[in-house]
Amino acid sequence: MKTYTQIPPGTQILFGRAARRRRLLERAICSVFEGWSYEEIIPPIFDYYDVFAKGMGAGEEEHFYRFIDREGNILALRPEFTSLVAKTAATRLARSPKPIRLFYSGEVLRFEKPKGGRQREFAQIGIEHYGGAGKTADVEILLIAVEVFQRLGIQGFQINLGSVDFFGGIVDRIELPAGEITALKEVLNIKDQPGLEALLQKLPLDDRRKNILRAVPHLTGGKSVIAEARGLVKNSRSVEALDHLEYIHSIFEKLDLAQHLTIDLGEIRGFDYYTGIYFRAYVRGLGFEVASGGRYDGLPGSFGEDLPAVGFSFSVDRLEQIATPSLDASEPKNSTVEVEQGFEKALQLRQAGKAVKLCL
Amino acid sequence: MLVIALCKGRFLDPSLELLGRAGICFAEDVASSRRLIFDSKDGQYRVVLVKPADVPTYVEYGAADVGIAGRDVIMESRADLLEPMDLNFGHCRIVVAGKGGTAGTDSDSGEPVNSRVPGTASESLPPNLLRIATKYPRITMDYYTARGIPVEIIPLSGSIELAPLIGLADRIVDVVETGRTLKENGLEVLEVIASCSARLLINRAGYQTKRDEVLGLIGALEKAVQ
Repeated sequence: MKTYTQIPPGTQILFGRAARRRRLLERAICSVFEGWSYEEIIPPIFDYYDVFAKGMGAGEEEHFYRFIDREGNILALRPEFTSLVAKTAATRLARSPKPIRLFYSGEVLRFEKPKGGRQREFAQIGIEHYGGAGKTADVEILLIAVEVFQRLGIQGFQINLGSVDFFGGIVDRIELPAGEITALKEVLNIKDQPGLEALLQKLPLDDRRKNILRAVPHLTGGKSVIAEARGLVKNSRSVEALDHLEYIHSIFEKLDLAQHLTIDLGEIRGFDYYTGIYFRAYVRGLGFEVASGGRYDGLPGSFGEDLPAVGFSFSVDRLEQIATPSLDASEPKNSTVEVEQGFEKALQLRQAGKAVKLCL
Repeated sequence: MLVIALCKGRFLDPSLELLGRAGICFAEDVASSRRLIFDSKDGQYRVVLVKPADVPTYVEYGAADVGIAGRDVIMESRADLLEPMDLNFGHCRIVVAGKGGTAGTDSDSGEPVNSRVPGTASESLPPNLLRIATKYPRITMDYYTARGIPVEIIPLSGSIELAPLIGLADRIVDVVETGRTLKENGLEVLEVIASCSARLLINRAGYQTKRDEVLGLIGALEKAVQ
């Protein structure tokens, strides 16, 4: 028998100030979601393995905590919420009036290397918006993400926004075997310039396409990036993606929020999952993203009901590493009455709404 | 201020030279000092000295914004990083090496060399699995997994060349610069896994949130790389 002094690797115990701060953060963020008319959904802690395997895509299942129930079904502890919520929206909520706005908050479990303050059990909090295609829903979730940062008093945040359709439109036009497309994506994913050059030397692509691929990793910055990208591509899928991003950027400008928005067409991680816009949120000084999200229109469809879907999630454990000036997690004491005169007195004070501390 | 993680050891001098050519200079002699943290004269950069294998970790966690390390170290770390630049020094190859005359014997059957080459087997036969001694267990595993050859990996931390000579392993996977050490120990390169050189590493979040500073550094280094 192992000693009881240690907890299993990847888990954590919060108490005192850390626990108060966790709940304060969660409450503050949920109140933002509620302010935008999102309703809480509390899904089960485990579901059928297939739900997550389908929802998260190939390669993720190795991170699931799997087990078998007494009937022989394969189950998994939830590694995320999005699949669970999408399944619910596509089944039990299929007949609800659209759009459906839901938020969730809780722990998820993934068997992976603890990293960046995120253990194997970690807290996610986020929203899902179903039934709203196109621009309005995209802008809505981005504005909600912005408000979360503002509510927490975080100043130096940055949302990197891109669209899978920009790079997707480029790849559509490249006729290469799947293996070589994968190799291209690998070097672009780490912005490996020499690796890209070595690949381009070997690939039968014309100079125009090669130059597009050389430019992609650097297409990050302000509004001017969109104009730069327009100079590179002509295919309709990429151009529509740029129109879409330009529209979102113009709304952010009008709302005086453009300083928080970075157009990022050079990021191609997670492309098998998203179907439109995607974004990652960073805070200066933290080495990992604190939130990510985007559009995944195919997801509810894989559970039986075609619905446009867009959403995001924040990593609570990473937010906890950032100063949040507007949250006060210090010990509540001023209003507590110390009671030495017996249980009766304590009950009276409780009925009067006072916080008591028994000192009998 | 950008924090740059540099490798202690053989990479340190060429790294400092490169930074010097890029205009990043230090008031004291970084290479001979015992301190581990140095600020550049212009106050824009801070250099930290760490063990080579730790550079990707410092950068992945964002404790350092950028780092300089060999591609071998980066591959072995499996850290999630940006690797935009080849710094054109520290050239070497990660290779599979073994005793002379054993080339091509493992890819067809995966049988251990010693059990098939008469005269090289010791009294007791080795186990039925190719045994590879290495400082790079992950690179080795990936390489043989991709080829469907089952192997037993024996992790070592130095003097890898010794392993096949005294029967600890059939092969080694190691970095080779000139190949002299291999030759002097009667080993030869059997397969090349990858070519390596020094790379610039960048933390993904830092690349986004400190964009101007990072691009400034890349620009200066691009001019300085020879």
